[in-house]
Amino acid sequence: MTSTTSTTRPRRARGRLRRRVSGLLALVIALLSVGTLYTLFAPQPQTAQAQEPSAQVREGEQLYNNACITCHGTNLQGVEGQGPSLIGVGEAAVFFQVSTGRMPAVRQEAQAGEKPVRFSQEQIDALGAYVQANGGGPTVPRADLGGGDVAPGGQLFRLNCASCHNFTGEGGALSSGKYAPDISRVNAEQIYTAMTSGPQNMPKFSDRQLTPEEKRDIIAYIETMRGDTGTATNPGGWGLGNIGPASEGLIAFVVGIGALVGVAVWIGAKA
Amino acid sequence: MSEPTDHGRGPSDAPSDAELAELTPRELEQLGYRLDDVEIVDNSPKWPISGTRAEKRAERNVAAWFALSALSGLAFVVIFIVWPWEYRNPGTEGYLLYSLYTPLIGVTFGLSILGLGVGAIAYAKKFFPEDVAVQQRHDGPSPDLERRTAAARLTEAGRTSGIGRRSLIKRTAGLGAGAFGLGTGVLTLGGLLENPWAEGDESPLWVTDWAPHGEKVYLRQDVGDPHEVVRMRPGDMSAGSLVSVFPYKESWSEEKAKEALHHADNPVMLIRLRPGTPVVERKGQTGFNYGDFYAFSKICTHMGCPTSLYESQTQRLLCPCHQSQFLANEYARPVFGPATRSLPQLPITVDDEGYFVAEHDFTRPVGPAFWELDAT
Repeated sequence: MTSTTSTTRPRRARGRLRRRVSGLLALVIALLSVGTLYTLFAPQPQTAQAQEPSAQVREGEQLYNNACITCHGTNLQGVEGQGPSLIGVGEAAVFFQVSTGRMPAVRQEAQAGEKPVRFSQEQIDALGAYVQANGGGPTVPRADLGGGDVAPGGQLFRLNCASCHNFTGEGGALSSGKYAPDISRVNAEQIYTAMTSGPQNMPKFSDRQLTPEEKRDIIAYIETMRGDTGTATNPGGWGLGNIGPASEGLIAFVVGIGALVGVAVWIGAKA
Repeated sequence: MSEPTDHGRGPSDAPSDAELAELTPRELEQLGYRLDDVEIVDNSPKWPISGTRAEKRAERNVAAWFALSALSGLAFVVIFIVWPWEYRNPGTEGYLLYSLYTPLIGVTFGLSILGLGVGAIAYAKKFFPEDVAVQQRHDGPSPDLERRTAAARLTEAGRTSGIGRRSLIKRTAGLGAGAFGLGTGVLTLGGLLENPWAEGDESPLWVTDWAPHGEKVYLRQDVGDPHEVVRMRPGDMSAGSLVSVFPYKESWSEEKAKEALHHADNPVMLIRLRPGTPVVERKGQTGFNYGDFYAFSKICTHMGCPTSLYESQTQRLLCPCHQSQFLANEYARPVFGPATRSLPQLPITVDDEGYFVAEHDFTRPVGPAFWELDAT
């Protein structure tokens, strides 16, 4: 009897201990898995973490506060009647406007035109980084912009650009003193960023409207038209300003009629 | 001289047959001039002494022009046959030779005809005698006698032919001539006559390819390749942009889809305004837009030029031909220039696949005004 009890008690005690240990283990495992699952599925905090701006952005902010703040406002939100908001225009807009000398503008007028550039390349990059850090937007292309196909580029240029910039990129008049500028002097990055940022009154051409490849084709066409690639761009030898029938008609009239008058005089003159 | 002569053709002036047979060619020429009342005042030869150095030089000069003409003509034939004319890309080998082909055949053929002409004129100037002649001018009408006899001859010819009495012949002849004249008129003018209203409400002036006719009409972007169909979606455009779009139906053949890129009343400007742009909608055209997206016909209502000069800040659409201006955010109404009607607005929406489609055709005719059109 005792032997049986003595033999059964420790067995019972061992069973209780095992139950307790296994229960404890199950609890630990359950807690661990819940904790793991929680860390896996818990929503990330949605608040933006304030990051320390880089030295470049700080330099850009300094430049902005000196040169741009009057018209574009303290927080790039723009000033009514003076300058548009720069939130979301991106570094592409900064690069185009500043590297062609259009910005900073000297006065309020129909259109800010090309001027000698006021900032160095590093300063332009810093300004771009500052504007990019405050609202994002199109960026300056880092890839090589050469190697486009001229033929489709010409098609796309005539479809999208020629209505304002003329078939040869000479530009033309718009309303109330505004004008589409001559694009034969700007470089490939400037053409590209002008398309992506839509400076001043120019419409934007996003990368889904004209893919980067199509933009490269257009750049190739513009460069061919101005003879950068060493090909003959004026089969007649003289472009006459590349502005089309007005100058060509004038030359044909003056030279052609002049020659005919000369011949008539020669025929009628006594030998 | 004051007395009008009988045109110098009086019988007294004319020589008899015997005299005529005696005359030399030189005398005959003189007689001809005299009968026409022309007097040769001076007819000295250009080179009175033949064989001078100056004469030889003049002769060589003229001959040189004709020789140049002959050489150029031969050079033209040779170049036309043997010159490399097949197209070469700029920058590749043989491009220079190829590029000279057209100028060379032009220059040689031009010199050939120019040499002939200049040679002929130079010969006339250097060798023809510079004769000075005076011809009498006769004032007034012909003498009464001549006029009356001539008129009488005509009336008599008419009377003796008997056409006045034969009314059947007269009428059938008139009928034949009239029918022939009518045929000539139909031939020249018939091609110009066309009834633009033959198809009633479906006439070309009222309907464009944007009419759905129970099918989806997508807004297709022209990417320069007529075989590549790119349908527009709202995400393809950023704010403040413009795309020229054309109609496209899936049932169309490739040929038909290509044609739709060229029909004059099809081009449409799809504009995405910047958010917050104040917009004025036209009565009867509310809801034609899709959010910030507005679609207007590209064809100017003045003379039909493409009005796709879009100023994205001032919202103006300019026409390059006569400087008409339309406000994109105010139903493209004209604000400057000769155009009087707004650009027709195309009602657009987005289908369940996310593509832009036209809800129906334009509600106003595209392009310049015409007689049957109500004002504005």
